[in-house]
Amino acid sequence: MRKAWLIAWREIRWEIWGDRGSFLRQGVFFLVPLLLILTSRGEAPGPRLDRTIILLAAQSALLPAISGVALIASTFSQEKENGTLVPLLAAPIRDLDIVVGKLVGMLVPMTLLSVATLAVAYLASIWTFGARAVQHALTPELLYALVVVSFFYVLSTGAWVLVVAARVRSSRAAQQLSGILIAITLGAFATAGAVAATLWDGWGILALAALIAALDLVALELARRGWQRSEVIARL
Amino acid sequence: MIEVRDVTRRFGRLIAIADASFSVAAGEIVALLGPNGAGKTTMSRTIAGILAPSAGDVAVDGLSVRADPDRVRARCGMVTDAPSLYERMTLRAYLGFFCGLYDVARPEARIADLCALLGLTPVLERRLGTFSRGMKQKTAIARALVHDPPVLLLDEPATALDPEMTQTLRELIVSLRARHRAILLCTHDLDEAQRIADRVVIVDRGRIVRIASTAALRAGGRPRAVVVVRGDAARIRAALVAAGVATEALATANGDLAYRYDADGAAEANTRVLRALLEAGASVVSLVDEERTLEEAYLATIREARS
Repeated sequence: MRKAWLIAWREIRWEIWGDRGSFLRQGVFFLVPLLLILTSRGEAPGPRLDRTIILLAAQSALLPAISGVALIASTFSQEKENGTLVPLLAAPIRDLDIVVGKLVGMLVPMTLLSVATLAVAYLASIWTFGARAVQHALTPELLYALVVVSFFYVLSTGAWVLVVAARVRSSRAAQQLSGILIAITLGAFATAGAVAATLWDGWGILALAALIAALDLVALELARRGWQRSEVIARL
Repeated sequence: MIEVRDVTRRFGRLIAIADASFSVAAGEIVALLGPNGAGKTTMSRTIAGILAPSAGDVAVDGLSVRADPDRVRARCGMVTDAPSLYERMTLRAYLGFFCGLYDVARPEARIADLCALLGLTPVLERRLGTFSRGMKQKTAIARALVHDPPVLLLDEPATALDPEMTQTLRELIVSLRARHRAILLCTHDLDEAQRIADRVVIVDRGRIVRIASTAALRAGGRPRAVVVVRGDAARIRAALVAAGVATEALATANGDLAYRYDADGAAEANTRVLRALLEAGASVVSLVDEERTLEEAYLATIREARS
């Protein structure tokens, strides 16, 4: 896995950290929750404010995750179009190292971004609505669940998207198919989350987390099988 | 060093390579020639272990690309016509990244040596996106050499290089041959191939149509000669007809008359032509045997294969 980490580190150091423009683009994830807070100022404590705060937290954690998955699709298809994938495929590395390296290279910064956005939204909510109201709506378990779900979301959907981006020829096709995939999985995650939350006094969420983790393993295995360099290079 | 054995590669219904077999020995440069879409790039990718053959096998340094593609990749260095670099990285970081992928033991020393060789030392800390096209191609060459591979697969490596750098690259390739590297050069530059290739493999529509040494291929056509003369054009033409050779008039800059003719049995043909010209009162400025260029030999081979 040393080579997978080399690939991941290159992505993080040079494609994300080295792209100053990306910092400006990521700023939007901090702005969206702040706008929601501004429009909800003055709301009285109660179930409605609880819902607003939970929505705010969910939005803060999941928007960077969705963006992370879209980024996986676009960076990978750009690599195909620019030809930079060829020297990588010509190196003595396993297909799995490339898949894991690319995924981890996006997973780490996007999870950190999710945590940072969530923290900013949390502090801004305390500033606006008061600590008691925020702590009532956002329990530590819920915060933890949001971070874990966003992590798993990037991992599972990212693995699928990587297979899609490898199997289609053009960057546009990869992004369109990935967009559809993101929408479907997000809908599925949200529906499953909403249903699971109502089951068995919250234990449903735990069952869902286990299911998602199992799905991640399936997605990774399928990505490993579906992502074969011969097939990828045949579509360059 | 490279053994291509009955390799076929299909992409769906398209057959990119059909039943190809050839070899490249250590210390040999083989030029893979063919028109666009002939299958040259597919062939080099198959040898490099990044494209599995649909049938047949390739052995690189005794290792099968089917059974051991990772170890084959570790023994190949590949340069493509497009440099394909990560443009946000600095040159040092880029070469360091590939040293890591190829498990190079002393990466800093290797990077320093390669950059000195290719004249890249002053730009080690610069981002690749700021490089000229020629510098990018040099970087791609350095990348292919980081692990000092025994096999080099060069797919149009001189694209975008200036004449000085092309010469440096040529000298580098020749020096690698002297160090017993097996080199496969895919190129459209027949002049370059003529200068450095020991043998040529000509492919057309995925099939190998000729394998020969460069010298044998060039000598394979009908021997021809060019005679340059001064005198009355009509009498000279009549003399050549009388000598019994098929001639082709060539353009000259200084008013002399030049003719190319097929010189089958050069001694007899040249003697007949000279005698006829002298009897016609012409002054013979020069008479030289004309060897086919590799380009002419290549085009003749392709035409023959298609007919």
